[in-house]
Amino acid sequence: MDNAKDWFGYDSLAFFGKVNASISHELKNVMAIISETAGLLGDLSEMARGGTPVDPDMLISSTESIIEEIQRGFTTIRQMNRFAHSVDTPVVSVDLMEILDLVRNLSGYLSFAGKTNLHTGEGTAPMALTCPFILQAIIYQAVVLTFQNAGPGAELDISVQSKNESTWRILFDGFSPKEFEVFPDDRITHMAASIGVSIDWDRSSDRLEIDVPVSLEGLPSRPGSPEMQPGGNGSRNRA
Amino acid sequence: METDNTIKILLVDDEVKFLKAVSERLAIKGFDVTTATNGDEAIDAANKGGFDVAVLDLQMPGTDGAQVLKILKQNHKFIEIIMLTGHATVDSAVECTKLGAFKYLEKPYDFDKMVDALKEAYQARMKKKFERNQKRMDAIQKLSMHQSPLGLLKALARLDDNEK
Repeated sequence: MDNAKDWFGYDSLAFFGKVNASISHELKNVMAIISETAGLLGDLSEMARGGTPVDPDMLISSTESIIEEIQRGFTTIRQMNRFAHSVDTPVVSVDLMEILDLVRNLSGYLSFAGKTNLHTGEGTAPMALTCPFILQAIIYQAVVLTFQNAGPGAELDISVQSKNESTWRILFDGFSPKEFEVFPDDRITHMAASIGVSIDWDRSSDRLEIDVPVSLEGLPSRPGSPEMQPGGNGSRNRA
Repeated sequence: METDNTIKILLVDDEVKFLKAVSERLAIKGFDVTTATNGDEAIDAANKGGFDVAVLDLQMPGTDGAQVLKILKQNHKFIEIIMLTGHATVDSAVECTKLGAFKYLEKPYDFDKMVDALKEAYQARMKKKFERNQKRMDAIQKLSMHQSPLGLLKALARLDDNEK
């Protein structure tokens, strides 16, 4: 695993930190709502004790609000858990839709994020032997950049197609030339090259194209490349 | 002219449930609360006037809390602003202080501390207004000693222009 340790260097750590900060922000919002709503129930109880009539609908809506926020918190923690385990095995066989789904959920915690729609292609699941963590970092950055430039209320459509026998193509509709001027930066270009991913912008259709090799095996090896675990089952949803 | 002592609060956050719970609690405590779910709505509400203190969430889609803080401080001389954030960093706290925030609270916070902060902010606003009025009265008194009635009116107009 020494190679993997080398691989997950500062850029990966920075990405990990950035995503975790956004998750903690989401959880703080959840806790703040629960705290204030529980406080409101306390205030209403005090009023009732003092003989002031209290609207029962307010009690019901406050209780429902707490239950909903607890569910929101659980959902957030589930995504946090998925993300945390994405570094367990540096290279593993994964369903690209799973990676996209996780990135969609993680980017949703940013205050400026719009809506990301995922479109599944026909046929079998798009499986690839790749480094899921690095691929997440690349896709996350593309999604973040799109929403930063598009502003609130924007929608982004992402789909996966088979480009040829050895490559999957992830397509971003809604990515503009302006964004392509700053994406990929040197850091993302370096990360992409290390796992054989190429990034291009299709001028004719205004789409960002991220080509992912079906397998990292056979790519020219480079120092610090992630250690391969071809026997991996791709399941990263561990408790 | 202010005729009552109710503290008027503008509460701004994109988390609707948070707004609802906090505004109800503040209303129970006797504050007069108006809510806004985004920065633009907050700026519009503030332009209608009458708020003593604004409580702004720092991270909101579109016009964020720091931008709203800047605009409100520019357009409303005596409003005091408390910033709320779930993502506190030293940099953002320093930036908000530079822009004139009265206080910076991290979510989730203690409600009683929020109430104390609102009262302190209101006191600060009243003090500033009192000092401004005192200064104005002193200036008028000085002017009235050496001016003809017409000269006094002209001098008062200049004084008003300088305060805009």
